Amino acid sequence: MARPDQVQDEELRELFVDAQGSMRTGQANDAVKTVVKALHRLLELKPELTTEELEPRPGWKMPFLTRWPQLGANFVEGSLAKHEPEIEFVKDNFALSEAITYYEFTIETAIKRGV
Amino acid sequence: MKFGLFYELQLPKPAGQPQWNPEDEHKIYHDMLDQVELADSLGFDYVFEVEHHFLEEYSHSSAPEMMMAALSQRTKNIRLGHGIVLMPPGYNHPARVAERISALDLLSDGRVEFGTGESASTMEMGGFEVEREQKKAMWEECTREAANMMVQTPYQGFQGQFFSMPPRNVIPKPQQNPHPPLWVAASRRETTMLAARFGMGSLGFGFETPEELAERTNEYYRIIREECYPIGHAINPGLAVLTTFMMGQTDQEALERSANGPAFFAHSLGYYYNPITGGKHQPGEKNLYDSFLESNKKQNTLSAKTGFVKEEDIRKDEPEEEVQRALYRAARTGTAVGTVDRVREMLLTYEENNLDVMIFVAQCGDRKHEHIMESIELFGKEILPEFKERHETHHKPWREEQLATVDFPINSSI
Repeated sequence: MARPDQVQDEELRELFVDAQGSMRTGQANDAVKTVVKALHRLLELKPELTTEELEPRPGWKMPFLTRWPQLGANFVEGSLAKHEPEIEFVKDNFALSEAITYYEFTIETAIKRGV
Repeated sequence: MKFGLFYELQLPKPAGQPQWNPEDEHKIYHDMLDQVELADSLGFDYVFEVEHHFLEEYSHSSAPEMMMAALSQRTKNIRLGHGIVLMPPGYNHPARVAERISALDLLSDGRVEFGTGESASTMEMGGFEVEREQKKAMWEECTREAANMMVQTPYQGFQGQFFSMPPRNVIPKPQQNPHPPLWVAASRRETTMLAARFGMGSLGFGFETPEELAERTNEYYRIIREECYPIGHAINPGLAVLTTFMMGQTDQEALERSANGPAFFAHSLGYYYNPITGGKHQPGEKNLYDSFLESNKKQNTLSAKTGFVKEEDIRKDEPEEEVQRALYRAARTGTAVGTVDRVREMLLTYEENNLDVMIFVAQCGDRKHEHIMESIELFGKEILPEFKERHETHHKPWREEQLATVDFPINSSI
């Protein structure tokens, strides 16, 4: 389950509630911007996410944050490798499906990390 | 729980040969017709077929609408599912999609399931000049408009980011009202939740376990009730999951028949969907089956040699990353591989967790047509009837309960 009321941190929870409201009214751009704020807050609360790695195959490691969807609000090239993740907007308009994808990834990550 | 068959139309090159034999493609197309005709006669509920382009050996199913049209005339009841139509307009203009879906719906007397997706492989996107970063937005725009075209008389026209067209009456209209059930391909959890928000069925390609399914089912139906803003004119609540399928009179026979099928499926999928290997593919030159056999020698993933691997042993080595985990599971787990007793027992765990549709990957790798036919027959006669009965007595009432407070129109075949 991944609902805002499962998020412990008040500031983060409010951001998810705001993003949900934007999605419900079709404001995809606002929703994406709010989810990016939520990601920044999550990284403040769980800075270890910047160094966490996945091992998709034995011997092949990749930063966990490469799972962040590359749909136009992307990590600046090289920023993950330096463990200083920075988001840049490479387009102005987002679709609702893109906002939902960012939202689901971020809220699920937050709830799994218990914040 | 309902049941379906899933087709990529895999065609490994013969070992050691640079090309296929001249009759090979003809044979897999006609084998599929025979398999689905048999499945229909035994009461299988669905067939889903992919749309892929240029993915040699992995999938020779680039024109599924032709196969579906042929099947519409050789079958009576089975639902004909696109699993999925590639929606970015570089692959298919939305008006052409709406026309084809509607025409098939008429030909099949209203048996179409309209599965949609974006595509993900470099070979396909590069071939049709589809931009990776925009494909999800393209999918959304074109799916929404294709649904509008099937409903509006005349279609009011559209000025969009990825395609535009003036008002036209897009004809024919489908037999199903307002349009066939909508699905989206979901290889990640977040796409299943996207499906719920848009009121679409989720075609799960992640080889999910019963435990994962339980969590997803609860959340999916909660979103359908509380946070749904439909992309179409009727919602299609439903979760479908893929699993590998091969039956035998003994477990050993099933394993030997299953053999390289799922492992090649995972190997070739991993090859094309990895941007490094897939992006460097030399069209017409590589023998992927040879490289699979070579890597299989090293990894020894052949379950026929090693026997069934315990579920807990499979789980402990699983990759964390979701797509890699799906590939791993595709190659190793055999949810529906074995005898009648083993397959029934495994399927019951999904039924207990309220799965709507289980889709079998039977045709894959170098599996033999006659073994697939025997498996379909064995399953249809020995297992399917009891699940059908419980679908009516248990699952339908459960779904009615889940959807009791939903106000949107529903068009679902589950």
